[in-house]
Amino acid sequence: MAERSFQHEIGLLRLGEGETFRGEGILAVTKALLQSGVTYVGGYQGAPVSHLMDVLIDAEDLLGELGVHVEAATNEAGAAALLAASLAYPVRGAVTWKSVVGTNVASDALSNLASPGVIGGALIIIGEDYGDGASVIQERSHAFAMKSSLWLLDPRPHLPSIVHMVEKGFELSEASNTPVMVELRIKACHVTGSFKTKDNKAGAPLQAPAAFDYGRLSHPPSTFTHEAAKVEHRLPAARAFIREHRLNEVFPGTRSDVGIIVQGGLYNSLMRALAKLGLADALGNSQIPIYCLNVTWPLVPEEVSEFCAGKAAVLMVEEGTPEYLEQTLSLMMRQADIQTRLSGKDCLPQAGEYTADVLAAGLAKFLDSEPARQMAAVTETRRKTASALLDRDLPGRPPGFCTGCPERPVFSALKLAQKDIGQTHVAADIGCHSFGTLPPFSMGNSILGFGMSLASAAAISSVTGKRPVAVMGDGGFWHNGIISGVAGSLFNKGDGVLVILQNGYTSATGQQFMPSTLAEGHRNETPMDIEATLKVMGVKWLKKVRSYSVSTMRETLKEAIKGAGKGLRVIIADGECQLARQRRVKVEDAARLKAGERVVRVRYGVDDDICSGDHACIRLSGCPSLTIKPNPDPLRDDPVASVIQSCVGCGLCGEVAHAAALCPSFWRAEVIQNPSRFDLWLDGLRRRVIGWMQKGARA
Amino acid sequence: MNPVSSRPLCIVVAAMGGEGGGVLTDWIVEAANASGLAVQSTSVPGVAQRTGATTYYVEIFPIPLAELGGAEPILALSPSLGEVDLIVATELMEAARSVTRGWSDPGRTHLIASTHRVHAVAEKMEMGDGRYDEDHLRQAIVAGTGGRLLFDMEQAARSAGCIVNAVLLGAIAGSGLLPIAPETFEERITAGGKAVESNLRGFRLGLQAARGEVPAAPPVSHKRPHAEVDGAGLVAVQLGFLPAAARALAEEGVKRLVAYQDVRYARLYVERLRSLAAATQDEAVLARVARHLAVRMSFEDVIHVARLKTAPARMERIRAEIAARPGQPVVVKDFLKPGLEEVCALMPGFLARPILAAAHRGGWADKAAWGRQVNANGIWGFASLRLLAGLKPWRRYSHRFAQEQAGIEDWLAAVADAARLSPALGLEVAECARLIKGYGETWRRGTANFQRIRDAVVAPAATGLWPLPFALDAIANARAAALADPDGGRLDRTLAAIAGKAAA
Repeated sequence: MAERSFQHEIGLLRLGEGETFRGEGILAVTKALLQSGVTYVGGYQGAPVSHLMDVLIDAEDLLGELGVHVEAATNEAGAAALLAASLAYPVRGAVTWKSVVGTNVASDALSNLASPGVIGGALIIIGEDYGDGASVIQERSHAFAMKSSLWLLDPRPHLPSIVHMVEKGFELSEASNTPVMVELRIKACHVTGSFKTKDNKAGAPLQAPAAFDYGRLSHPPSTFTHEAAKVEHRLPAARAFIREHRLNEVFPGTRSDVGIIVQGGLYNSLMRALAKLGLADALGNSQIPIYCLNVTWPLVPEEVSEFCAGKAAVLMVEEGTPEYLEQTLSLMMRQADIQTRLSGKDCLPQAGEYTADVLAAGLAKFLDSEPARQMAAVTETRRKTASALLDRDLPGRPPGFCTGCPERPVFSALKLAQKDIGQTHVAADIGCHSFGTLPPFSMGNSILGFGMSLASAAAISSVTGKRPVAVMGDGGFWHNGIISGVAGSLFNKGDGVLVILQNGYTSATGQQFMPSTLAEGHRNETPMDIEATLKVMGVKWLKKVRSYSVSTMRETLKEAIKGAGKGLRVIIADGECQLARQRRVKVEDAARLKAGERVVRVRYGVDDDICSGDHACIRLSGCPSLTIKPNPDPLRDDPVASVIQSCVGCGLCGEVAHAAALCPSFWRAEVIQNPSRFDLWLDGLRRRVIGWMQKGARA
Repeated sequence: MNPVSSRPLCIVVAAMGGEGGGVLTDWIVEAANASGLAVQSTSVPGVAQRTGATTYYVEIFPIPLAELGGAEPILALSPSLGEVDLIVATELMEAARSVTRGWSDPGRTHLIASTHRVHAVAEKMEMGDGRYDEDHLRQAIVAGTGGRLLFDMEQAARSAGCIVNAVLLGAIAGSGLLPIAPETFEERITAGGKAVESNLRGFRLGLQAARGEVPAAPPVSHKRPHAEVDGAGLVAVQLGFLPAAARALAEEGVKRLVAYQDVRYARLYVERLRSLAAATQDEAVLARVARHLAVRMSFEDVIHVARLKTAPARMERIRAEIAARPGQPVVVKDFLKPGLEEVCALMPGFLARPILAAAHRGGWADKAAWGRQVNANGIWGFASLRLLAGLKPWRRYSHRFAQEQAGIEDWLAAVADAARLSPALGLEVAECARLIKGYGETWRRGTANFQRIRDAVVAPAATGLWPLPFALDAIANARAAALADPDGGRLDRTLAAIAGKAAA
């Protein structure tokens, strides 16, 4: 991976029997996979699970020793399809992606996998991108487990529990011939902790190709048999296994009248909420009994009955909407004729993350006790008092384009082009470039998924009568856009503009390599080329423009949007991800400097006495290194633009000042380090002549 | 119920991408581990980007694990309102954000934060001054927390050659709030093996600050007074008619205008102030006009820019800004793109007017521009800029000069008229000069906005027919609207609303 080296993490993966692992949740999962003897691992990167694949791809030696195959899939559907190995062979394997979006993409393969079921343990590690810090639509992956009869584990956010559930997940999968999803919320992926490790197990030895078995195909009439097997054999087997191995936990309490059922992932927040209300201590001792669902699908009716029977009321703590678990519990209790009152979304909010504060308020409502209500009220008052400390909302600080990002100039150019030719429909996409939807650009009329921008623009010209502009990253192109977008548009003789931001990596998820990555040391010796691919596909109007050339890009965009004729027009905006580039260049430059070689450092700047403080340059850039500082002019007050030290010399500010004819305050300075004798001679000459001219002017 | 009264120590680390918040959190976690304490951290680190606000959350159980008899504390993954013991922030606004989110409690929370500002995009992109009021941020922090350590850690980090996280770690270690010895924190830096020396320097600065040796704040004034110029003194002595505050500003104005044009031009400035002083003796109005008048009279044209680009102090400023070491050659290139307006501005009016009229009719006035990258410290680049700067005497005969003088006289007359009605109204009209600034499109937009406000609000207000509070509000609102968006949408709506109210 280009992001960084994972030598420390790989060291943790090598820990043996009885040693202590200290690190993040998602790395603990990775270690648990190796301890479980997986034969293959695959996935598609995305927060919060990118780390799993990043580390494994870097751990070539270790995986070679263990005989584990790693597949960096080009999308989640590809990753899901990898599990077919466990469909046909008794081998363990795992795949990972960001959910719910990744599960959406994978769902075709998942359904076809779940129908015949598996004979080797198959795990799907999903990073449930929900709540504070989530970057995708807020939906529940739970629905996929229910509809496809996959089992869903939701372990407590506690490293030993997580590792245990991964290991047990394989056994559950094998015992019930069903693929198992392990759901980890964002913070659980990044939670730190420790657990006692075991030795890694090697993958399965080579075996003979499987014999033909029509019954293993998701084809009729096998599919009818599969459907029956799901409910008649696999579900009972799974329930028996869950019960026998106590995958769910019951924490007893001193009260017998009420109980709480909680998704495992919410256990810690629930305990904090109870502690706030004085109903539990910091060591996990609670007055109210808790039934902790480390398996949220399927539910085990016997366990539910045992926990609920005899209580006056139970509360189901279930995050997100709809309340699948509450509905199922309600049905189970009705069928078992248990008269316990069931609460859930009547006390807790229908939507949003369940933090300890939210849960405390919900518990207060559920318990209907005065002290609890008062505690919850105090929290609410505190929130209001705190926000009243400022009379004006603080400006937000969402993530944005990095300093020197090659994608920012494309939006500068598009903004300038729109000024000349008027508003255009902009179909946005997933990736770093979705920051183009934020100020100062605020562009984008829809986001329909990863690599979907061009497809989402297909009907637009018939609505607006103008050619829409679809923006897509190279990551999105290979993930989906090449087929759904480009092939679809060509096939339908569509008319529109596609701007492909080619920066060489899937940058938003941590600069992973992808098919057209050109970076040194990349595994593919002949990387695929987007330009060549588009030509072969039959794109006639195709231009490649250096990202930072704002004027050229503006003119190219104008021509593409307004030009005569019909058909797909593709602009490849070419510029390497600056984060990846800086990581490389810094090391190279440092080595060359040390060797005494000539190195030119470029920085941009603003003459603070020429800048008039209008900030048009910032409205066309938004670069973190282009900021404002107090006006040094004793007669002016508006802050002036300023370029700070973090500038990497990408040149956008100069380009924009030029393209937009903004103002003459920008300069570009080249510092010549380890200058040659010619450099020094020229510099001396220039200084002398200029000094003479300056004196002359003053005289 | 088990009477374990101890609760975990809750720590919020508020940082922005790229400031080392993750490393800082790791240091804290490792130091707690090394001290035999149960600890847990989580984060929502956004994606790979380097700018967004990022929050890390740490809980440390204060009783050593060995004393818990095999039990393990259950630690939370996110902060609860009012239940944070320590807020650590890398920047002032992020500190205030943590406080106003309600995480802090004046009875419980200690805050350690750097006081420097990293401005958000929304603050930077405003056409005037969009900066959030720092005093308000500080007041909110003080009101919302129990104890605080606030100083410019960015400055300290720079002096130590590290990033801000090492200074923060030192400040945390020195605060004594966590049951972890300062040496244990320090060892984490050494164990990390990266930039150890500079990180330790930063750590010690933070540690010392927490123990009361807060580094002195850098001098507050960022203003750079105008250089002394021959002849300015003789003009400035004529400013005796102004009240003190206005006189100090006018002295700067005189120096500026002598350098900009000549002594005669500076005298015109003094005469203009004198005639205003005849209309009003209000100190605030005179001070404001002294400021804006000097700026308006030193309008930005090609000659002015060329002079500033070739000023002797400029190269030294640039070298310092980019940290060029002595002996390292520096090559400076300037991005100049004078448009048709700028070129015509230098011609005499009888030539400029027809050309500009034709260009506007033809719709190419905005498009004609001559882009050049000038090597400002190369011999030819410098010589040509010098030559342009040398056109100064010619400026008096240029189209732009005449245009600007007419505009200035008109504005001064409006200020005088308004000030006669009420000094406050005079001040509002004077302040409208802020709208006119910059180059090219910025200047055209500003000038047009000024003119619209002049006609639609200032003129009727000066008749005295509008009630004074309404007039004051109208001008201030119109001015704010003109600075709200570059497309003029807000100004359109505001002017319409003012007209509507005035008619009612």
